[in-house]
Amino acid sequence: MKISYNWLKWYIPNAPEPEKLRDIFTYHLCEVEFLQKLGTGENTDWTFDLNILPNRAHDLLSHQGIARELASLLDIKFIDPTLKYKIPDSKPTNLRIEIKSDKCRRYLGRIVKNVKIGPPPDWVKAHLESIGQRSINNIVDAANIAMYDCGQPIHCFDLDKVSGNIIIRDAEDGEQITTLDNKQVKLTPQNLVIADGKNVLAIAGVKGGKIAEVDENTKNIIIEIANFDPTSIRKTAQAVNITTDAKKRFENDLSPELCDFAMKEISGLMLEYGFTDFQEVVDVYPAKQIERKISFSAEKISKILGMAVSVKEIENILERYNFQYKESSGKFEITVPMMRLDLTVQEDIAEEIGRVIGYDKIKPKIPKIDFRPRVDKTFSKIIWARNKLLQSGYSEVMTYTFRDNGEVEVLASASDKKFLRTNLADGLRESLKLNQINAPLLLNINKIKIFEIGTVFLKDREEIHVAYNEKEKIVEISLDKFVSEKLSPEEYGYFSAEKFLVLAPSRSQGSSKETFHSQIFKPWSVFPFIARDIAVWVPEDVLSQEVQKIIKDNVGELIVKGPELFDKFKKDGKISYAFNLVFQSYERTLTDTEINKIMTKITNKIKKKNGWQVR
Amino acid sequence: MDKEIQKGKEHPLSILANQAFEVFSNLGFEIAAGPELESEWYNFDVLNVAKDHPARDMQDTFFIKAPGEIFVLRTHTTNVTARAIEKAGKEGRLPSAFISIGKVFRNEATDATHEMQFFQIDGTVVGENISIADLKGVLSDFYKKILGKNAEIEFRPSFFPFTEPSIEVWAKLGGKWLEMMGAGMLHPNVLRNCGLNPEKVQGFAFGGGLDRIAMIKWGIPDVRLFYQGDLRLNQF
Repeated sequence: MKISYNWLKWYIPNAPEPEKLRDIFTYHLCEVEFLQKLGTGENTDWTFDLNILPNRAHDLLSHQGIARELASLLDIKFIDPTLKYKIPDSKPTNLRIEIKSDKCRRYLGRIVKNVKIGPPPDWVKAHLESIGQRSINNIVDAANIAMYDCGQPIHCFDLDKVSGNIIIRDAEDGEQITTLDNKQVKLTPQNLVIADGKNVLAIAGVKGGKIAEVDENTKNIIIEIANFDPTSIRKTAQAVNITTDAKKRFENDLSPELCDFAMKEISGLMLEYGFTDFQEVVDVYPAKQIERKISFSAEKISKILGMAVSVKEIENILERYNFQYKESSGKFEITVPMMRLDLTVQEDIAEEIGRVIGYDKIKPKIPKIDFRPRVDKTFSKIIWARNKLLQSGYSEVMTYTFRDNGEVEVLASASDKKFLRTNLADGLRESLKLNQINAPLLLNINKIKIFEIGTVFLKDREEIHVAYNEKEKIVEISLDKFVSEKLSPEEYGYFSAEKFLVLAPSRSQGSSKETFHSQIFKPWSVFPFIARDIAVWVPEDVLSQEVQKIIKDNVGELIVKGPELFDKFKKDGKISYAFNLVFQSYERTLTDTEINKIMTKITNKIKKKNGWQVR
Repeated sequence: MDKEIQKGKEHPLSILANQAFEVFSNLGFEIAAGPELESEWYNFDVLNVAKDHPARDMQDTFFIKAPGEIFVLRTHTTNVTARAIEKAGKEGRLPSAFISIGKVFRNEATDATHEMQFFQIDGTVVGENISIADLKGVLSDFYKKILGKNAEIEFRPSFFPFTEPSIEVWAKLGGKWLEMMGAGMLHPNVLRNCGLNPEKVQGFAFGGGLDRIAMIKWGIPDVRLFYQGDLRLNQF
């Protein structure tokens, strides 16, 4: 949710500076995705992009909600906006609203006549732009301003395009609507709609329809402010594949009590536009929100947080947040404000207290756990099998669980590989091929020996397998079988807790503790490499290191591996040493010509030595 | 040429997993494991993630095409945590602490920081007096041992359906704050669903990506490198 700093200041003029506010959000409320400065001079504003999580979506997807939260959190002045909106004189109304579904918990309607569609006042435009929204026309903008301000979605219909009463009902099977953005949607009885006597006017809480759209010729409107069952809205939006700001708010549940303020706010805005012909509000409210109470003790809060919180501290927070409460000897009973749908159990209160005080105030400690060794069989088998293979010279790889065929299929995958692997062998074979091609590049690996331990998925079960290669052949067996076949008599008892803890190397075989914190990943080049060999005859008393040094000194910077001795033999008082060299660039594909040049340079250097000869 | 058998090179995620297991084992945690293909109950419902609640959108899920009971590829290893404390409760073995590391799956488009499969480290401590102070102590210890003594660790407010209060763990490395893990006190509904009495016991739980820790720790630039089967990755 984008929040404008200037907008917040309407309500909390003493708000801290934006940078400071960012930290306050971060440590007491939610993550700040970014803070951006807009405009210059007098027009300067800042936009916060706040990551409001689902538990506070009902009250914090709004400027007022955020402002109230900050006012309580920081104990600063909050200017109640209710007084700002003048209540227009209203005429009697003929508007009739019928709620025919229990998915609609409240519906407020108001007719405003003789409106004039046009551009909005400058401040409306500026406010919308400060949170990345586009101005459409004064009516739509008023509805949006009110939503981003108080969190209640609002919809306006063109009165003259509506025939008869407003009816909130389940759609009929196959009923259709053309949405405001000209999308044809087919509905089912699971979808709640707003209709008149003839047509579906809107998909309730999700999207308005074309039929009663407010356009440049609109003269008279109906303001809709309603509250719907969140699950129904969510399911409908998913079924018709439409996501809107309204849907996002409704699916997170809103307090039906919010409707009153929203009506006041949008009416006030329209009055400010100069519209005066208001009719009375029609309010149908079949499912009244019930007041909730929570009991908790200062002791329990302290126990959850792991920090002593006094009755006085709790009282101070409850007062700042305008919670009504009763307290007696450390036991509290609070009445939850209607807007705080997230607070239902004492643990919720612990979170309120904890985040307001700040989690940094809690002193860390290590719990004393009575250690009774137990070993998970599957885990210890995996550790054993992995170490066994590592010791036999095999290196470990991991490949993808997803394949293009198999016995278990996933639904609606973001990838084209929709099946779960039935074996490790297919993936390992691909890995083997890749590594064989790269073999000249692999340090300290002469023959490619690889293994994977992982889960495979068969029609009715999953199984952990072990797979490894024997030259070109892939061997794959179940983990259980691998262990029972390879376990030597001395290792019996390995899988009992006591023995495992003694025998199992707690650290991997591969790297040592000393280097654990100092190693850094070396990226590899994506360009092809060129491998060359060079064999040199030298007198018998010459060491291979001497030859290696000459090669090294003349090989240049393109060498990525070698010179590495791979062969030597003696004949007629002479000795032959053979070395591998691998060349590769991080920037380009190398050519044979340039490598030949390097090899010639090395050859010439060697030839200069007495009794040395390149084979 | 005569050469002894050279040891193979281990996958970096296994190195890190073993290190993590060692840190937690030393604190008294038991190692737990569980299935990758999981019932909707253990992956979501038991963890207080209600059906048709927006909180389910926090994790993009792979559903399995099959008749009958709904199965998913587990989106976190918190399923293992739930199964472990349920069992420990039944066996009367509280207080208990469990740690698990396993493969998890998310149905999302892949890029350098997103992969359809990755590893998660997940743990819990349940007992009579386990609090956020313990959570802070255990996780600070873990990250200092994994990332080095100089790593700064912070705890920030958050929301997860399975914990209340909910907390995010952030670490500062190379001058930058990075989100490492979700954590919090187990929600009373979760304890109840696992057959425990929230009036008598409380506990904390945590979970986060192992791949992410590995990327930050070693400077590995792309999460997809872990699953290519390319031995050039096995550098440590």
